[in-house]
Amino acid sequence: MKSFERRPSVAERRSPFVGSASTNNTPTPMVVPHLAGIEDPVPETTPEKVDVLIAGTGIVESVLAAALAWQGSNVLHIDQNDHYGDTSATLTVDQIKRWVNEVNSGKLAPYSNAKLYVSTNVGRNYKSRDFGVDLSPKLLFANSDLLSILVKSRVHQYLEFQSLSSFHTFENDSFEKLTNSKQEIFTDNNLPLMTKRNLMRFIKFVLNWEAQPEIWEAYSERSIYDFLTEKFKLDKAQTFELIFSIGLCYNIETVTPKALQRIRRYLTSFDVYGPFPVMYSKYGGSGEVSQGFCRSAAVGGATYKLNDKLIDYNPETKIATFKDGSKVTVMEKVIMSPTQAPEGCANIPKQQFEIHRLICIVEKTCNQWFADGESAAVVVFPPGSLKSNNTQVVQAVIQGSNSETCPRGTSIWYLTSAEQGPRGEIDLDAALEALENSLLRETSQDIVNDSDIVQVGPEGQTIINSVKLGQSFKEYVPREKLNFLMKFYFTQHTSTPPFNIVASSLFDMQDDNRLIPGASDNGIIYTPMPSAEISYDEVVTAAKVLYEKIVGSDDDFFDVDFEDEDDNAMTNNPDYENAIASNSDEDIAMGDSGEPVGEMEI
Amino acid sequence: MNSNVTSVKLVLLGEAAVGKSSIVLRFVSNDFSENKEPTIGAAFLTQRVNIGNHTIKFEIWDTAGQERFASLAPMYYRNAQAALVVYDVTKPQSFIKARHWVKELQEQANKGIIIALVGNKADIIEDGEERKVAREEAEKLAEEEGLLFFETSAKTGNNVNETFLAIGEKIPLKNSSSANDQHHDTNNNNNQRIDLDNNPVDAASNAPGCSC
Repeated sequence: MKSFERRPSVAERRSPFVGSASTNNTPTPMVVPHLAGIEDPVPETTPEKVDVLIAGTGIVESVLAAALAWQGSNVLHIDQNDHYGDTSATLTVDQIKRWVNEVNSGKLAPYSNAKLYVSTNVGRNYKSRDFGVDLSPKLLFANSDLLSILVKSRVHQYLEFQSLSSFHTFENDSFEKLTNSKQEIFTDNNLPLMTKRNLMRFIKFVLNWEAQPEIWEAYSERSIYDFLTEKFKLDKAQTFELIFSIGLCYNIETVTPKALQRIRRYLTSFDVYGPFPVMYSKYGGSGEVSQGFCRSAAVGGATYKLNDKLIDYNPETKIATFKDGSKVTVMEKVIMSPTQAPEGCANIPKQQFEIHRLICIVEKTCNQWFADGESAAVVVFPPGSLKSNNTQVVQAVIQGSNSETCPRGTSIWYLTSAEQGPRGEIDLDAALEALENSLLRETSQDIVNDSDIVQVGPEGQTIINSVKLGQSFKEYVPREKLNFLMKFYFTQHTSTPPFNIVASSLFDMQDDNRLIPGASDNGIIYTPMPSAEISYDEVVTAAKVLYEKIVGSDDDFFDVDFEDEDDNAMTNNPDYENAIASNSDEDIAMGDSGEPVGEMEI
Repeated sequence: MNSNVTSVKLVLLGEAAVGKSSIVLRFVSNDFSENKEPTIGAAFLTQRVNIGNHTIKFEIWDTAGQERFASLAPMYYRNAQAALVVYDVTKPQSFIKARHWVKELQEQANKGIIIALVGNKADIIEDGEERKVAREEAEKLAEEEGLLFFETSAKTGNNVNETFLAIGEKIPLKNSSSANDQHHDTNNNNNQRIDLDNNPVDAASNAPGCSC
């Protein structure tokens, strides 16, 4: 595959623009010429011949489409839905209703067991389109490969990102510990000095852990819990926070190197754009990001067609036939999301793992869970913290109305479990109950006057004793009831194991030469379904592997430079490789500098 | 240097081949404001216009062909403060389509979006070709729907700048603090927005690390 000739880039293939503005200078091959994307509209008809056909506008497919378009491939990107996003879609309530019907009629094989309750208030007090609900909620780490690509491709200019710095761990039936920042660990007066020292030692280590195998090698097959408690003498509380809130790991058995990688991800993302580790896009998560990359692909020359479905592809004649009767010759590859597979398909990779999601819209703000000025939070339910005696973590992302995904006075709760089998749903129900009770207790009016809890401070201000509040909560049954505007449950199936990111071996298994007689999808390469991973970490990896399968090498993946006024020295640098250096290299570099811990004081 | 810069997202709509792109091309290519070269990026085109003490920075979103198969994303309309709905004065069908786009904008876009209805290719009529959309008909639509209306020629440049200037003059400027109070919500959100182009940590301490 490596012997592929590199196809000329867009700039190289484009005939010189005939117009008033192009006469001044000849663009260098690496530079997209003036007026890219505003040339005369292409004809109304579908092209007869394309290099690559992509079906499904989920985030992996959309990043791939944009990368290929800017590389110079002629891309036709379709989706059977009348909206963008596919597996990453951000949906209105009405769209969810239709989606649930499709799942339950068996038309969307990678999903099952969809259940939906919608309050009659939606349609009365609220409009369906006031809500934007993600099928695959994701958070963007400030130091991540997708973020580099977003900036490099300028797709970030289509999006608005907001910060998220509140990570709560649920323990003993309440949010006992909040981690707003890693500094908070060090300023927490309840922590003994010794614990702080151990924590400090660990954080210094983890920023550069790969270079110090002597410390962790003995634990390379053992759990992070053992490593932290034995090697760094950390207490359970700190250990849990590191594993579940900061590392966002899924259980105590997570092996040490993997957990260290995840803990470092958080720490190296902190303070990159401000005092927070992650961001999310306004108006909807991966659905928005997908739309942004699709637009970028369109500007780069890709053709978009929603509401169309591939019904057959013949790998010998290379002719793809669509629902609307049109045909196109695909010169190179057909890439397809498993959701968009034609009838009679036989080549879809096995989707053997389950992800359980419970998405609720509540008629209440959750501002007390958000950091100042923010409108989202993460709540983690570690193993054993729920009534259901969960063995796997339940992760919840809470979004308020300033995220513009729900109207004022409401919030959206995304609960996810990668527990396999019927227990997944039971864990989610338990987590929902815990969230509901916590919220009602915290916002209830009828306990505020308890003199034991509310004290008057030296300057006459009211102080709430949160420890006592937490204790009294345990027996407290709120009188209020929480109004649910929507409860939406479904199981998604994926080939990616729980909390792993997609393995390139998935694509190796999809041998191009394998032909199953009678199958309608021979020669088609399937994209992975989203994993349970809470971050976007797998997206670029998957898109790059697919890109390499098409182009022959991923050397020029988003190797574009745009003439923007915001250009700075770094983006003008012809040596692009370093700008999107692999994640691990970047992390090591950051660890070497030792900067992230510099400002912490004990 | 002008300190009051208002960014305005402007979207283009209209049937294929009515000259949407040419109008923008004409606008951004003109040596129109403060001798500044127009900037062409991957995301959208930008052009600055000075109005009194203010600079309006138009961020102009082309459909990039996504309208062809009814595949414009909701993102396209979102937060657009202005729109050009373009038709061809020699093609009645394009005027019908323009009505459709006006309706679409009123449903999908922000309330208060400034829409300019633009009859393009006015130069062709001067060359003797037949006009098929009466000026009065377009004026009537503009009146009914509260649109700005211009007949332009992207070819000669006639009325192109005037169209954008007229939009610019209708844009509410954010300069006084009282205006900020009125839009308390919006400002809150803007404050929360993270500028990914502005990365102090990368620029300072980590820059050497990237060159390894």
